[in-house]
Amino acid sequence: MFYPKLALTNIKKNGKTYIPYLLTCVLTVMMFYVMNAISRNTGLDQMEGAEALKAILTWTVVITGIFSAVFLFYTNSFLVKQRKKEFGLYQVLGMDKGNLAKMMTWETMITSAMSLCVGLILGTLLGKLMFLILLKILHFEVPMKFAVEPKALAATVILFLAIFFVTLLFNLLQVQTANPVELLHGGHQGEKEPKTKWFLALVGAVTLGIGYYIAQTTESPIAAIGKFFIAVILVIIGTYCLFTAGSIAILKGLKKNKKFYYQSRHFTSVSGMIYRMKQNAVGLANICIMSTVVLVLISVTVSLYAGMEDAMETRFPTDFSVISYDTSPANIEKENQIVEEESKKAGVQIENRSNYRSGVFTATYQEKENRFLLEKGVGSAYENEGFRSLELIPLSDYNKMKQKNETLEENQALVYAPDDEWNSDTIQIEEFSFHVKKVIKEEILPNDEIGNIVKSILLVVPDEQTIIEMKKLYGYEGADRLSYGDHFDLAGDEKAKEAAMAAMKQRITEETAESSSEYKSEYREAFYMLYGGLLFLGIFVGALFLMATVLIIYYKQISEGYDDRNRYQIMQKVGMSKKEVRRSIKSQILMVFFLPLMVAILHVAFAFKTVTKLLAVLNLTNVHLFFLCTVGTVLVFAVFYAGVFWITSKEYYRIVQ
Amino acid sequence: MSLLDVKNVKKIYTTRFGGSQVQALRDVTFSVEPREYVAIMGESGSGKTTLLNILASLDKPTGGKVYLKGRDLSTIRDREMAAFRRQNLGFVFQDFNLLDTFSLEDNIYLPLVLAGKKHEEMSKKLMPIAETLGITALLKKFPYEVSGGQKQRTAVARALITSPQLILADEPTGALDSRASDDLLELFTKINQEGQTILMVTHSVKAASHAKRVLFIKDGEVFHQLYRGNMTNEEMYQRIAETLTVLSTGGDR
Repeated sequence: MFYPKLALTNIKKNGKTYIPYLLTCVLTVMMFYVMNAISRNTGLDQMEGAEALKAILTWTVVITGIFSAVFLFYTNSFLVKQRKKEFGLYQVLGMDKGNLAKMMTWETMITSAMSLCVGLILGTLLGKLMFLILLKILHFEVPMKFAVEPKALAATVILFLAIFFVTLLFNLLQVQTANPVELLHGGHQGEKEPKTKWFLALVGAVTLGIGYYIAQTTESPIAAIGKFFIAVILVIIGTYCLFTAGSIAILKGLKKNKKFYYQSRHFTSVSGMIYRMKQNAVGLANICIMSTVVLVLISVTVSLYAGMEDAMETRFPTDFSVISYDTSPANIEKENQIVEEESKKAGVQIENRSNYRSGVFTATYQEKENRFLLEKGVGSAYENEGFRSLELIPLSDYNKMKQKNETLEENQALVYAPDDEWNSDTIQIEEFSFHVKKVIKEEILPNDEIGNIVKSILLVVPDEQTIIEMKKLYGYEGADRLSYGDHFDLAGDEKAKEAAMAAMKQRITEETAESSSEYKSEYREAFYMLYGGLLFLGIFVGALFLMATVLIIYYKQISEGYDDRNRYQIMQKVGMSKKEVRRSIKSQILMVFFLPLMVAILHVAFAFKTVTKLLAVLNLTNVHLFFLCTVGTVLVFAVFYAGVFWITSKEYYRIVQ
Repeated sequence: MSLLDVKNVKKIYTTRFGGSQVQALRDVTFSVEPREYVAIMGESGSGKTTLLNILASLDKPTGGKVYLKGRDLSTIRDREMAAFRRQNLGFVFQDFNLLDTFSLEDNIYLPLVLAGKKHEEMSKKLMPIAETLGITALLKKFPYEVSGGQKQRTAVARALITSPQLILADEPTGALDSRASDDLLELFTKINQEGQTILMVTHSVKAASHAKRVLFIKDGEVFHQLYRGNMTNEEMYQRIAETLTVLSTGGDR
């Protein structure tokens, strides 16, 4: 009974470091179990579009698992560092390494048992709550059972036992390889003052600058995807370089400035910070990156979810739309007949109808030659800023749709260019050339779906013959013909609308040739599934990261507190007052704490523009909403952060005193 | 007027849970004149460190008074205490107490910086002191780069740079080898001859033999004192050793 007892006393005695560790273990166990259990819940399969959700959930489980492992390992290494002296003492007092290993094994067994038990119990309780929240987010009305999932239990126990086992092995290795005297001193040798790495600092500044520049100058949403990735990598590199080399360069610069340095307010802080940054720069950069990820992830998922109706509106500008590739009069007549019949039958009115034939091309506008080049494939030029979606409409269809009497000579055209200022009086498309008779200012079509992602331009040409010719030459397979589009809203009773649209869709699919149709409400559930799932992921992973960030900072400060204690005691002996000590501590902790947060907020601010472009791809164009979500997320995050700062600085001050 | 007056100082420690009481200082009375070099000797547990802490105003006596230049230390408010110590006292410790994040130069500047002095003024003050102590060439180095003796000389420089009324030294040779100890003691004699008052606590006979006067503490009281007069260091050493023998074999006063 000796070893278990000893192990237990050790844990109690090291409460200051063990309690946060145990808390971390419990929380990670709990989160992993909850996520795992939800992803295995069979009830979810009843929902339509559950595959997307399940895929997201499975991803979350994997992320949580990897994250738990890394994180527990990290906190554990802090713990061992703290206790090195103690282990050394045990050895000096006559414990051999075998005894020590036995003791440590018992300690690990106790902590593992405690964290697994508490974590799983809390997990089953919390799981129910989380599940209800998920269902609420997904707008899933049917009450479902959330039972204890034995498979999830088993997976959690196995994963965490493995993690704990590996950490134990790591700890044992640490003790085995060190000799008692080394352990006793625990790395209390004087450290060299770090050198200024100008090159690295420069690299950091340049990469960060380029990253920010790219994020600011990208205009096209599709181009944003690729460029954003590059910008992210550059910013990450820049962050690491600047935290490690840039910070020291600045501090050393301050130190060189004798007037500034030799002031009681700056003297201890500057030199202290140099060493602190040497030890912590990478950790702080990690925290900074992690905070940025959390902020972006949460604000994006929250605004996607909150802006879901907007997104639906953007994705489906009209209630119902049909696209048909058989533009024969008979087919069009048939489609029209179905729409009229079904709307009459359901007692709803057709509104805002626009139906016309057209040819759509993807084109690149070359400003220098004032000429459009057509793409034979899809997407090859998306990254290009000159990319345009080019739509050609025959005059007859335009006049019919808008009830106008425009006339066009041969090779004349009307231009509608909502995204450009059109000044030229000719328009050249490959070898086809048109005189611009008039530039139309009024909106021709209801805001079409891709209009938000790519710039579009619309041309009304004399007859369909030219369009057919162009389509033959430049259309890609399957789209080398004219198409007929019919878009309209329905007015009337909601239920009747639903019924009419469902009937229309079915009949159009069955009775007309080469047609497809879609309507908004049909996709609503899928939207909720996808965006709700993303929100859940965002919040869950965000919470996990936040917890990790907070704990890492806490541990850092505590372990530094023990190192700094000696230093502050000397300063007090030499004549520093308690007030000055407190002030010096405060300014340093403030720096260490808020530097990563400040930089993270800066990153988010610079990413804002590009992220709005990315959101446009996901049909969210409400920049105002995204702005509010971002600000809200930053505020909530900062509040948590400040809370931890408060607790930590109090604890730190107590250690140092 | 004496520089330092210690009158009937008493110190009783109470263990944390209010159990037994330990009397560290029973009744200590002595005074130190300006330009004096006094050593206080005693065995471990005799109360010498407690006494030094009280003199340094790091600790408060349970009874009795300490006057520095006629000012009662117990009347100084906590807020002013740090500044008071900075202006009037210089400290030299057994384990140097240098900050490893500062170069030797910055370590020496520390009390002046805390006092809010300008850099030009500080460097003007530093030069002669560094010259005396023979550390001019080392000023840009860091504590981990120099030897123990050099560290202790830096600590002495730090104590001297504020031109304090009194230097309090706690076992200054305790962590030094015999050569470095000799050098340091020479240095103490030298700065004392230049007019610096020094009060040193030690249990090294050799260290004490350099002082002009030695006080012996036993069981929390000043048991005996010894004046140098015209004795050489060797004779002084002899006398101190004899006194200690008498003390430890339990001779009553």
